[in-house]
Amino acid sequence: MIDPLTVLTIVLMASATYCTRIIGYLVLRNRTLSPRATALMEAAPGCVLISVIAPHFVANNPADLVAIAITLLAATRLSMLPTVMVAVAATGLLRHFIG
Amino acid sequence: MSAMEGEASMQQAPIQSELWRGIKGCIPVLLGIVPYALVLGAQAAQKGLSVIEVPLMTGLNFAGGSEFAAIQLWTSPPHIMLIVAITFLVNSRHLLMGAAIAPFLRHLPKRKALPALFAMTDESWALGLSDAKARTEQGMQPAFSLPYYLGTALVFYVAWVGFTTLGAALGPVLGDVEAYGFDMAFPAVFLVLMAGMWKGFAAARPWLVSLVVAALTYLFVPGAWYVAAGAVSGLIAAYVLAGDDA
Repeated sequence: MIDPLTVLTIVLMASATYCTRIIGYLVLRNRTLSPRATALMEAAPGCVLISVIAPHFVANNPADLVAIAITLLAATRLSMLPTVMVAVAATGLLRHFIG
Repeated sequence: MSAMEGEASMQQAPIQSELWRGIKGCIPVLLGIVPYALVLGAQAAQKGLSVIEVPLMTGLNFAGGSEFAAIQLWTSPPHIMLIVAITFLVNSRHLLMGAAIAPFLRHLPKRKALPALFAMTDESWALGLSDAKARTEQGMQPAFSLPYYLGTALVFYVAWVGFTTLGAALGPVLGDVEAYGFDMAFPAVFLVLMAGMWKGFAAARPWLVSLVVAALTYLFVPGAWYVAAGAVSGLIAAYVLAGDDA
């Protein structure tokens, strides 16, 4: 039920996350960031998110490629809940009918 | 001392109503996170996390984007350093968020501000900050209402931990979530988060670099290196491009 390595990973993840929550408050509250540092910090989360999902953009079946295109289109126009619904429905249907 | 007592008594009366205002304020946003939490829980169960380990992660870490990324990369045994590094990078937006909210927390001692920051999520931060701006316009002091913010955070916390656990419990019953297309919820959630960060094409060029490098690495290099390769290339691009514009 509880794996020591899993717990260790979770505790370290949680520590890293809590650091991100307090460092901005503790360190940056009385400083002005350089434009370069600001650009870097603004770009970072998106760079990571897109890298994590990159395999979906080079899937080896047409159904998944069409599905990710529909998902991308939905994400630029809709909010979270409808986008997730459109993405899941489109993927399920496309896989069923195109394979 | 007397100023602090004055402030305390001024806040004491509306604490409950402020807390309640926060709870009510975030209920519409819950609709968006409940399915997301269920999918995360179900996917985590498929990767072998137990019904105890899932709430441990979502309750201690309490940052959805990084949990999705961690589960996506989860192996048995997990690549600890990779997952921790990715968690930090995904949550690096908190650095900016903390800096932005800091001026509104000046009236709070650190012993209150630091625990309160544990509950800072995209949603509670946005709600707390927009409420503080509205209260400033109405001339209310302090502008930042701690009980309001904690009310929103409390609802998110209970819903997030509760529904991810439920997802983990239901996951094995649902079977392979990929067969229904639920795995596309991950990219969908990530793309919506990125749409929220969108600041024009120029600012998004590093994302494109990350996408291309990560996709090529995924195709030609075995293992999970594509995430690190994509993220680092994007950051280098951001650094270089910022130099061009400055």
